Amino acid sequence: MATAVIMPKQGQSVETCIITKWFKQKGESVSAGELLFSYETDKAAFDLESPEGGILLDIFFPEGSEVPVLANVAVVGRQGEHVSSFNPGNSSISPPEQVNQIPAAPAYSGFTESDSSSAKPDHSTIIRISPRARLMAREKGLDISSIKGSGPNGRIIASDITSATPAKPYIQQAAPSSEAFSKPSVVSSGSDYSDTPLSNVRKIISKAMHASLQNSAQLTHHMSADVRKLLETREKIKKAVSEKKEQQDITLNDMICWCVIRALEKFPEANSHFLGEQIRTFGKIHLGLAVDTPRGLMVPAIKNAGDFHLAALSKALKSAADSCKKGNISPELLQSDAATFTVSNLGAYGVEMFTPVINLPQVGILGVCTIIHRPANLGNNFFGFVPYIGLSLTYDHRAIDGGPATLFLKEIKNQIENFSL
Amino acid sequence: MPKSQNINPKIVREPKFIEFGKIPVNQYNKTIEQEKKSFSNEDFIRIYHDMVVIREFETMLNLIKTTNEYNGIPYNHPGPAHLSIGQEAAAVGMAYTLEVEDYIFGSHRSHGEILAKGLSAIHRLDDEALYTTMKNYFGGNALKVVEKEYSGTGIKGLAKDFLLYGALAEIFARENGFNKGLGGSMHAFFTPFGIYPNNAIVGGSGDISVGAALYKKINRKPGIVVCNIGDASMGCGPVWEGITFATMDQYKTLWDGEYKGGLPLIFNFMNNLYGMGGQTMGETMGYDILARVGAGVNPESMHSERIDGYNPLAVIDAFRRKKQILTEKKGPVLLDTLTYRISGHSPSDASSYRSKEEIEAWQKEDSILSYGNSLIEAGIAGKGLLDEIGSGTRELLSRILKLSINDEISPRIDLHKDPDIIGNMMFSNCSVDKMEDRKPEVLLPMEENPRVKSLKNKERFFKDKDGKPFSKAKLYQFRDGIFEAVVDRFYKDPTLAAWGEENRDWGGAFAVYRGLTEALPYHRLFNSPISEGAIVGTAIGYGMCGGRVIAEIMYCDFIGRSGDEIFNQLPKWQAMSGNIIRMPVVIRVSVGSKYGAQHSQDWSALTAHIPGLKVVFPATPYDAKGLMNSALQGTDPVIFFESQRIYDIGEMFQKGGVPEGYYEIPFGEPDIKRKGDDLTILSIGATLYPVLKAADILLEKHGLNAEVIDARSLVPFNYEPVIESVKKTGRIILASDASSRGSFLKEMAQTITELAFDYLDAPPVVVGSRNWITPAYEMEEFFFPQPEWILDAINERILPLRGHIPSTDFSVKKAIRLNKEGV
Repeated sequence: MATAVIMPKQGQSVETCIITKWFKQKGESVSAGELLFSYETDKAAFDLESPEGGILLDIFFPEGSEVPVLANVAVVGRQGEHVSSFNPGNSSISPPEQVNQIPAAPAYSGFTESDSSSAKPDHSTIIRISPRARLMAREKGLDISSIKGSGPNGRIIASDITSATPAKPYIQQAAPSSEAFSKPSVVSSGSDYSDTPLSNVRKIISKAMHASLQNSAQLTHHMSADVRKLLETREKIKKAVSEKKEQQDITLNDMICWCVIRALEKFPEANSHFLGEQIRTFGKIHLGLAVDTPRGLMVPAIKNAGDFHLAALSKALKSAADSCKKGNISPELLQSDAATFTVSNLGAYGVEMFTPVINLPQVGILGVCTIIHRPANLGNNFFGFVPYIGLSLTYDHRAIDGGPATLFLKEIKNQIENFSL
Repeated sequence: MPKSQNINPKIVREPKFIEFGKIPVNQYNKTIEQEKKSFSNEDFIRIYHDMVVIREFETMLNLIKTTNEYNGIPYNHPGPAHLSIGQEAAAVGMAYTLEVEDYIFGSHRSHGEILAKGLSAIHRLDDEALYTTMKNYFGGNALKVVEKEYSGTGIKGLAKDFLLYGALAEIFARENGFNKGLGGSMHAFFTPFGIYPNNAIVGGSGDISVGAALYKKINRKPGIVVCNIGDASMGCGPVWEGITFATMDQYKTLWDGEYKGGLPLIFNFMNNLYGMGGQTMGETMGYDILARVGAGVNPESMHSERIDGYNPLAVIDAFRRKKQILTEKKGPVLLDTLTYRISGHSPSDASSYRSKEEIEAWQKEDSILSYGNSLIEAGIAGKGLLDEIGSGTRELLSRILKLSINDEISPRIDLHKDPDIIGNMMFSNCSVDKMEDRKPEVLLPMEENPRVKSLKNKERFFKDKDGKPFSKAKLYQFRDGIFEAVVDRFYKDPTLAAWGEENRDWGGAFAVYRGLTEALPYHRLFNSPISEGAIVGTAIGYGMCGGRVIAEIMYCDFIGRSGDEIFNQLPKWQAMSGNIIRMPVVIRVSVGSKYGAQHSQDWSALTAHIPGLKVVFPATPYDAKGLMNSALQGTDPVIFFESQRIYDIGEMFQKGGVPEGYYEIPFGEPDIKRKGDDLTILSIGATLYPVLKAADILLEKHGLNAEVIDARSLVPFNYEPVIESVKKTGRIILASDASSRGSFLKEMAQTITELAFDYLDAPPVVVGSRNWITPAYEMEEFFFPQPEWILDAINERILPLRGHIPSTDFSVKKAIRLNKEGV
């Protein structure tokens, strides 16, 4: 009896996944546990192993197809076994709706009917690329999925590769956060502009951010905190790590998150979700951490972050960030309602203050800015330069008023300034 | 029409009746006694012997086909065996009078004729010549086999073994066969004995043999040609065309001196009364008696006669008389050699089309039986002797069969060891100045030729040093390039002859041969009847006998009329002969325009599709001359396409102009006509010029520098320069005037895709003509590729061109729709 290979459901809210690569072709033999295909959700990529050994009898969705979760993707079995009953297209299940189509409308004047080549849904999401461009991309180490083709029907052609900025493939390599701000790998199709199709992640982000600003009453307070204690601690830890006394390197951001958690414990109204008719206040703190990845912004949740001691929190934060960059973070953790409060740190980029946008239904997000040395009264009217870290708290006025919000921000500042291990 | 012969209306309008002379039917009535003057006893018995050998040979094949066994020797022969049991007297009688240098051509049913002519040649050749022939044939391989087993004495006996072994091994597709096993039953032949190709296409020899007769006549070779074809082939166009070609008045009226007179050719219809199953007398033809046809052909009625092919002496008598007619240059002759095929058309023949009574009636009159009886009656041979001939032959054939089917002694060509062995036989690829070493016959020194003189003053590059194009009158044109190559060869190769419609006097419909009439006697340049089949068929016969020839098809569209000759005959015989034969035949094919649907088609793909033809299509005077020189230096069949659009074009690419001297352009080498880096355009033929215009527009409007490559050749073709170009540009457009569906461009596009896939930035795109009828000249811009179409195709399929407004629809949807609709 042949076995259907189904599209796994990676998280409750995941409805469809996109097959990014088939490692096996129809008719090839596979052994149990061997990689069959890669797929991605909105925010993460996965590999699927064959549940059984045998022949890959049929593939119902080519690369690039968007497949409803739990739908049959392929069939593994013995040569000659019937497979048509497995084909989702043959059952009462309606074929998957294609939501991720390559933007049509090439930027040239042609006969419009030529664009109808995408009429066959199964093929609409394949990457059209000329063999020459493929070869050049391989040589340059370019990820073709992020390149917009300027050829007929959006085909990526050699000139697109020539003008594309080399970028590292997103799945295989974790990009340092600074790269997140590198120019997107776009294609210039004109002399004075460039068009870049929205990636899935980008689409999600744009929708979420736009919805946040449209549907909430958010505003931002700025404050700064003396970080001398944090920096001292940081130096100590660095030294200890370099002397191998400590294994866990704890970053400034880890410590700030730690402080935020401590502040949240005191201000549970900030650790909540605004649900329109009600406010849900959480007993546990699930801290969202904004992570820049080459694919775009991701905000994984550190569940029960309040339960961690500093080293464990640091580990959890690092692990979540790495998973995002690798693309194997559980989609569950990426849902905006997975976290109860979010920290977004742009300090490393020298941002002095900003207005972070809330991940609804959360009610607040703390923007962490760069450290600036400011004159301060060191006591006895003795003034010196003190390193201050900028804190930008955006809160949803629907849920929290300015007073409590300010007090919450002040508490964060207190935690930072009075930090101790 | 030559000006030397005026057609006087007074005469041709006179009332009169055509009187037909009598056509003899079975008039031979001599007895053996009477024939004793002409034949020795030995001769009488040899005739009997030869008939028995053929009968036994065919019986053996019949048994192998129907019972997989002969004389206890098992063998399975899956191939064809079209037997002629019953027709032995006709075959032996035909061959009896023939000299070795007399050529026979045959049909699919010609085992008997091969053996008869072979036995006749063995009888005539002296031992030394025989042995040398056998020893030199394919390194003496077949000789070695029979020599080892030969228990008799005398070279003639050995030669008989050799003949039977060579023929049988050929039928069984063995390498020791006469044609390395590549001809087989229906095509076997052995030129050293004057046995020229049998032909599996009914009537195929009908025009090829005329070419052989022309070869004999034009090159003053001794001997006659016998075209052995079946009665049903009288219904075939090539046979009628061959007859027409062979009976032209001009041989007797216009050809000069010793060349004056009819062709040394006998159309010998082996009339067994059936074409496969169709009864030619009473059902499928209307002539009643085949010999009647001669009456309609020429005033001599082709010396037509029906003879009794069941009596070898009657056939011999007829051939003696007819040979005399040919010697007197009064040929050709038509013979209706009445015979009967007792065996089926092939072993699968159930004889559903004829009655048992009919077969029995003919068996009762069986030629071998009755001739044997008459020998006994006349006291020439005893029954014992005849029986001995029979049993001896059975023994001999058993031995030959064993040798022929022994895989170790008689292996097939080893395609495992050398998978290219047949491929290497497709062309002879020789470079030969002249096919024979003697002085070419010409009418005046070349430098005195008016065209040659006029060309001295022509401009060999299209513009002057200030860049001003020369007028057409001053220009050395494309047609001049072909002329120079042709006239040069006429003064080099004495065997070179050219024919086609309006070739003489007119100088060809497009003035390519203007000036040749003054240079050449009739027998080297003459007008043919409007018989495209025979124009090519005769060229094939001429070429395979050893002459070089240029035949002309006035419009490419008329290739259809010479379909069998171009597709089935011309390309096949070099390889089917086992490379014994060479085929130095150039077919000039003019590709038209302006004259609508039946005069404007580029069918180069049809010829390129057929293995065994070389196909070229030059587009410049320089290339035309160089490629024609190569064509005329080679020994392979060449289809030489010329576009009528550019006969008057000057040389635009060779800065020094077209050289006056001799030079060759090797076949298969494309030529980069313009260098560029951004995309490649490969064109075939005259489409080069619209392509160059497109390249201009691409550069001016889109900053794209196109590399323009002129294919020049289709077969062979060196893809390397094209691939190099594609590696550079990544993009290729292919353009020609052929209708795009199935055009050779598609073949090229596919090959380029395979060979340069990783370098392609877009699929190779073909821009051809519409899959329509060609409309009138005024609408041709909608049919033939225009420069804008090339831009449209680039824009739609390869690289969107900013600001380009397409004039045609190259969209995928349209392509799918057109294909669906079959247009």
